[in-house]
Amino acid sequence: MQYCTACQKAIATIMVMDLSEGAVTGSQHVCAQCAEQLGLTPPKQQKFSPEMLEDLLGGLNKPRARGKPAEACPGCGMTPTEFRSKGRLGCPRCYEAFRVELLPLLQRIHESQSHQGRLPSTVAEAPAGPDERALSELRRRLEDAVRGERYEEAAQLRDELRRAERGELAP
Amino acid sequence: MAKKRRDDKNPEFRPGAWLAGTGPDSDIAICTRVRLARNLQGFPFSPRLDGDESERLYQFVVERLGRPGLPVQLQVVDLSPVDELERSMLVERHLISRELATSDRHTGVAIDQEESVAIMVNEEDHLRVQVFAPGLQPGQVWERTERLDDALMQRLPMAWSEEFGFLTSCPTNTGTGLRLSVMLHLPGLVWSEEIDKATNVAQKIHLAVRGLYGEGSRALGDFYQVSNQITLGRDEGQIRGDVMLAVTRIVQWEREVRDALLRGAARVRTLDRVHRALGTLERAQILSSEEALGCLSALRFGMQTKLVDGFKVEAINQALLLSQPAHLQRWSREKLTAEERDQRRAQMLRDILGCHP
Repeated sequence: MQYCTACQKAIATIMVMDLSEGAVTGSQHVCAQCAEQLGLTPPKQQKFSPEMLEDLLGGLNKPRARGKPAEACPGCGMTPTEFRSKGRLGCPRCYEAFRVELLPLLQRIHESQSHQGRLPSTVAEAPAGPDERALSELRRRLEDAVRGERYEEAAQLRDELRRAERGELAP
Repeated sequence: MAKKRRDDKNPEFRPGAWLAGTGPDSDIAICTRVRLARNLQGFPFSPRLDGDESERLYQFVVERLGRPGLPVQLQVVDLSPVDELERSMLVERHLISRELATSDRHTGVAIDQEESVAIMVNEEDHLRVQVFAPGLQPGQVWERTERLDDALMQRLPMAWSEEFGFLTSCPTNTGTGLRLSVMLHLPGLVWSEEIDKATNVAQKIHLAVRGLYGEGSRALGDFYQVSNQITLGRDEGQIRGDVMLAVTRIVQWEREVRDALLRGAARVRTLDRVHRALGTLERAQILSSEEALGCLSALRFGMQTKLVDGFKVEAINQALLLSQPAHLQRWSREKLTAEERDQRRAQMLRDILGCHP
């Protein structure tokens, strides 16, 4: 029997394992209450597969949990395989999408993982591209559709959102 | 580019800023160059940039570069109508990379009149900003680069983050995106077989030592480029310090071995080597670019150590430039086979150096 690692009071009933490339890289024992607070409760039984939910939520621009295996970059669609074979990033958001693999790579190349030095003091006006307001509106509608279990609509909204993020839709 | 004229005054046959032969320590340091890798927000990086988007990027950058107030006046050379020979000339002038020259995207380069600034568009990164100065002038080059970079950032929305600095397509450039390189002419170290020890000094502190044309190229004509490899976790001042630490040591070392090569029993061997090179330049009928660069290197060394006189440094620098295949063909005003080039090169070098035995 083990106490919850989060509150240190209740008995842990849930064990959370971090998986990276199929190997267990760490584990955590928590009680049901803490698990819920930490957002670690298993998803409720749904009519669709967990992959589908993940895919839909991928479009919601949620920050990825550390240690999770990387998926295609939501910004440009670069896949982990492509990143590994080319050794190149596809867009600014790839830095977050492939963070887990990128950090040790940067450490090997530069013996460092964070920047020192100049940064822009002014930010120039961006080219006509993704309109942030339109994007948040799409994200809101997608969330709505997922909550209302309207998956066909959600999938359409997801595709629309992806195109908009690449600046392919007129704002 | 200007009209084809077989004329020394023709700007396309005159070396640009990097090969002017002036500046501090110019007996050994040929040029100091800064390169910044920059990408724009709102466009995927080159591996995910399709034809339409790279076109949109090109037009966007060119429009923004055209806005007034840049610290240098730039002229944009659209590379799409530029043929292979002229592209190779730009490579030989160090204004564009081989990658840009062979790219099938809409590419371009913005150059100032002195050829001391060249901004490549649609390279591995959206922008590759290069600033040159002759001799060893890291401070001056960096100040100019900083001013230009500031002005570019006011015009163009650069991709960056607090954590990773400037975001680049290849993780080897992430952070400052800065590559500071100094081109050194090191015949003394090569002749006295100390060059490997000297380059080890640089490599030990994570610097790269490359040949005349950067990555993968050989050290033709005893020219070596020393540059930083680390771009993340060290700021611009530290990077400059790292490069200068090795460069000043190597420059000093080269001076010491040059002195040694001019003393005692070594002197006659050195004299022999310089005069053999001169003899070849004066008499040879067929000269490969490799042999020509070797001879010009020896002649340059002979001039600086006052073993020979009667030549101008500018003429030697021009000869170095024109010995290269694309410039040589432009000079000859015709496309030449490799064999014809070697013949023409021998002839051209005699013309430029004014040696008519």
